[in-house]
Amino acid sequence: MSKSPDDAPTAAADAPAGTPSGATAGRSRYGSVRLAHGSGGKLSLELIQELFVAEFGNAPLAELTDAAILENRPGRLAFCTDSHTVTPTFFPGGDIGRLAVAGTVNDLAVMGATPAYLTAAFLLEEGYDMEELERVVRSMKATADEAGVAIVAGDTKVLERGKGDGLFVNTAGVGFLPDDVRMGASEIRPGDKILVNGTLGDHGIAVMSRREGLDIGVDLESDVAPLTGLLARVREVAPNVRFMRDVTRGGLAAVGNEIVLDRPWGLRIFDVAVPIHDVVEDVSEMLGIDPLLAANEGKVLLVVPPDEADAALGAMKAHPHGREAAIIGDIVKEPAGTPIVETAYGSRRILEMPIEEQLPRIC
Amino acid sequence: MPDVDAHAFDPHVYKDADVVAGLQAKIASLADEIGRPVKLMHICGTHEHEMGRFALRDLIPDTIEVLAGPGCPVCVCDNEYVNLAIQLSLRPDTIVTSFGDMLAVPGSIPLEGERRGDVRMSLLDARAEGGDVRTVYSVFDAATLAQENPDKEVVFFSVGFETTVVAVAAMLKRGVPDNLSIIEANYYTPPATNLLPTLDGFDIEGFILPGHAVTITGLRVYEHLPEQGIACAAGGFEPADVLVSIVALLEQIRDGTPRIDNPYNRLVKYDGNEKAKRELDEVFELAPIRWRGIAEIPASGYKLRPAYRRYAATDRFAGHLETLDLAGAEHPKGCRCAEVTLGQIRPDECGVFGKLCTPDAPYGPCMVSHEGTCRAWYLFGMGKEKIHVEVA
Repeated sequence: MSKSPDDAPTAAADAPAGTPSGATAGRSRYGSVRLAHGSGGKLSLELIQELFVAEFGNAPLAELTDAAILENRPGRLAFCTDSHTVTPTFFPGGDIGRLAVAGTVNDLAVMGATPAYLTAAFLLEEGYDMEELERVVRSMKATADEAGVAIVAGDTKVLERGKGDGLFVNTAGVGFLPDDVRMGASEIRPGDKILVNGTLGDHGIAVMSRREGLDIGVDLESDVAPLTGLLARVREVAPNVRFMRDVTRGGLAAVGNEIVLDRPWGLRIFDVAVPIHDVVEDVSEMLGIDPLLAANEGKVLLVVPPDEADAALGAMKAHPHGREAAIIGDIVKEPAGTPIVETAYGSRRILEMPIEEQLPRIC
Repeated sequence: MPDVDAHAFDPHVYKDADVVAGLQAKIASLADEIGRPVKLMHICGTHEHEMGRFALRDLIPDTIEVLAGPGCPVCVCDNEYVNLAIQLSLRPDTIVTSFGDMLAVPGSIPLEGERRGDVRMSLLDARAEGGDVRTVYSVFDAATLAQENPDKEVVFFSVGFETTVVAVAAMLKRGVPDNLSIIEANYYTPPATNLLPTLDGFDIEGFILPGHAVTITGLRVYEHLPEQGIACAAGGFEPADVLVSIVALLEQIRDGTPRIDNPYNRLVKYDGNEKAKRELDEVFELAPIRWRGIAEIPASGYKLRPAYRRYAATDRFAGHLETLDLAGAEHPKGCRCAEVTLGQIRPDECGVFGKLCTPDAPYGPCMVSHEGTCRAWYLFGMGKEKIHVEVA
């Protein structure tokens, strides 16, 4: 196929009209993505109906209208969007599809909202394997079910070969937030406890190990997971949670820095209290990187009033995504505006702000 | 509190809090016995990083100062090589590969346009101007890239000390694609450490020898140091490793018996790793090399031997390179990285530290590299008073 330089680099297929076949067989007669899958024509429709609608299966999406018409709920709306790119697309413990859904669901859940609806936009590179796309889509559906959300609208674009990195997924989400929820960094007070729901760095190290072809000889899986259920349980037993933030790129170090910046209080992390998987510890040491700066996709940091901390911890430990939860530090009066780490030896340092991607050491 | 013998050290307890407390007490009592200020130096970027990560300077008395020496490979890499890499990256059909840290280090080629101070061009700037610059994690990645791009020349900017050079030697011996060449920015540590005590005003009494490098070379090559009155101990990288090295040094200083102790004996042998040394020797020979901001030091650089010179980028591209006058262009104005590298000043004594020079906008190499002293000091908050915590 030749294209003139005047051709637009992308071709749109914005939910053309039609009814879903409901069939799961056949999918596409092509084994890989063609430019025509994004053209808005016959192949686009086939992809949308036989893959996206068939898999995501819900009434608003099946209508294939220009916009999904959704049931409203009481309270305020929480609304967010996130784009996802990861190498490799499939990694131990997850894939870009699970990442895309969990990431957006978690952004809503940490605001105290109940996630309800998602959109999914796919940027596909010409030649991308159709079976891989199916696996990604099935994974998105499974994760959405786990989180109790529906994927109700979407979009597909196909980029010419060489102009996209295989597959990008954008997800946007809407959740409903009860009027009485008051959370945010400004609610935090000295004396509050800092909790996480489990081991840190699993995702970052699992992906890096796979990307670098490291044979670490043990199972290490990404923690990618939607945290809706876990956080709902915590909020039942700890209604005055001050602050929640999902710990993603930049790791605990990034969140720790963000929440104290320009605040009249500081935070202290006890490094021995931070749960870290033995394998993550070992691989990090081998590569010379710090697990506190490594990415997570199923971890959340909570700031909880001291009298609710044990209840919040108990609720997390009773949940599958919180078995290794721990109280890792506290909010302190001084030093204000600075996150610090206290070592097992009583020495103290600043919890460094991540500057760029972590790279293995040279020396 | 357990009493830890520096010479019979159990490698399995290198992070144990009780062991660290024992070593801390021992260092305090040795400091008392010595009864005057003592300056020690380590010679490894990873040591500085770990000292920051575990805030180890908090654990030793104020009278015992541990300075960072010329142990960061990125920091000591001369501008000559940065400039060479930049020029090659701007050639058509050439891909320059290097470790991430190296990409942001400015050389001495002026950068056009509006930039702060007199900052010069880095490989990142070259990439923005169309140069093909790729980050790799090792020479193996560069060889793979060369294989995948047979119509291109792939240049590996080989920067590092003994530990890194061994991998390059092994790779070249095994055979690499013809379109791969290397920039020989490979440094051999002992001549630099042996030079330090001859400098004016040198007042350091003991060296923590670099654990990774001495795993390859062994300790024998540092025998000059005790002869010059310098206490020596091979240093591992865990908290107890570092402290036990300090204990060993202080004991030597107290007794007035400088020698080479090996508390990192779980990895380090007195004569090093024979196989690695053989491979190094087969591919490389020692030659003079310039240490950025320090001097040209005889026999301190690894250069390819004649049988392997076809892989030397300088030979392969001879005649295609501009000659640059490097005089006076070592560091941007106000940058004191050279003095930091020699342990003559602390990072916070440099006028641009933390102001004009920060990790997200580095001025000199010590703020660029993950193993750079200034970067570690800035990120971990070293050099200030011990951090005081006031709880609610």
